[in-house]
Amino acid sequence: MNPNKLDACPQCDLLLRRIDPELGEKAQCPRCAYLLYYPRKHSIERTLALSIAGLILFFPANFLPLMGIKLLGNSHDGSLISGVIGLFNEGLWAVAVLVFVSSILFPLTNVLLSLLISAHLYLNKPNRFLAQWMRWLQHLDEWAMLEVYALGIIVASVKLASTADLKLGLGLYAFIALLLITAMLASSLDRYLFWQRIARLRS
Amino acid sequence: MRYKASALVQGLVRCHDCGRLSRLDAQLPHCPVCGSRLHERMPQSLQRCLAFLLSSYALYLPANIFPIMTVTQIGVTEKHTIIGGIIALIDKDMLPIAILVFVASILVPLLKLLGLSLLLLNVHCRWQRNAKLWTQLYRMIAFVGRWSMLDIFMISILIAVVDLGGVSKVLAGPAATAFAAVVVLTMFAAMSFDPRLIWDKQKIPR
Repeated sequence: MNPNKLDACPQCDLLLRRIDPELGEKAQCPRCAYLLYYPRKHSIERTLALSIAGLILFFPANFLPLMGIKLLGNSHDGSLISGVIGLFNEGLWAVAVLVFVSSILFPLTNVLLSLLISAHLYLNKPNRFLAQWMRWLQHLDEWAMLEVYALGIIVASVKLASTADLKLGLGLYAFIALLLITAMLASSLDRYLFWQRIARLRS
Repeated sequence: MRYKASALVQGLVRCHDCGRLSRLDAQLPHCPVCGSRLHERMPQSLQRCLAFLLSSYALYLPANIFPIMTVTQIGVTEKHTIIGGIIALIDKDMLPIAILVFVASILVPLLKLLGLSLLLLNVHCRWQRNAKLWTQLYRMIAFVGRWSMLDIFMISILIAVVDLGGVSKVLAGPAATAFAAVVVLTMFAAMSFDPRLIWDKQKIPR
């Protein structure tokens, strides 16, 4: 019994024979219906391209104003980072750290790590930190919450639109683009394939 | 044949990070591919999950009782609790958004707390029925957890944008910390629960 030819469902531990589905096919656990694996087209190339795009968009999305309001002749606009600073100045440092981590730090780390890993795999360059980066990337994933933040923007703008004049900032467009890029990034990154390639580069 | 279906029974351990199977008898504490520590099951899964869960229950109350944000508009200060914010949205005829906020900040945390409690009971009492459904419940809980951050993010945006000195200002309230803690702790609880335990306790092979 060779462990390399076997696989186990991560959620019910059913022992399975390892299969390589064709493009467009899905491997599902027969016992608990967990989606084990589905191969993606040009995973490494796409991940590399999308992570470069994400890195470029990251800075305008975070530091340019997302939106602004105008009320009784006064106007003010806010960006992603100014919300974090506002929370921090109010003394709610725990919430500030959480917002900072989940909307700025981890999405950035996510893009950077994807870039590093896919660039190494694309160029077939071994690096002893590859496995370490890949592990970090998987653990960070749960805590990068750009899409939830986007929903927060929608709710906030609906609330604001009823009381004040709302104007949308350049940062918002950059943020929407970044959101789309990171969503595509997450769906193009094929963990199975990446681990396979990392293991092959090692040996 | 099916009875020995689990990889662990066959003496194989799956790496949490890269998914590679290793032999249990090889005495390898680390995965040969990615170097992460191997565990048969998540260590102290039930104890950790229960601890996180109890802390979230304790914080769920202050999160809903205290004001989550303070809105000052032309000298008038209003304090909003989570439910108060939803009622205000309904009053302004924004029902779809109100439903969205209700689902994300009341329904999801509550269902997560109850769902995880039931999952812990399931493993503890060795319930034999519907193992597949329970696993799917776990998957749902793990998936929806992050969406509860909606309210926290919304407040962070409002604080950033609505800052017009005396005219209009939004500040976060004490419930924000409690609510954020509930979301994070339930996410930790979901992460420390190992759904494979549900299947380990099944007496009848499936």
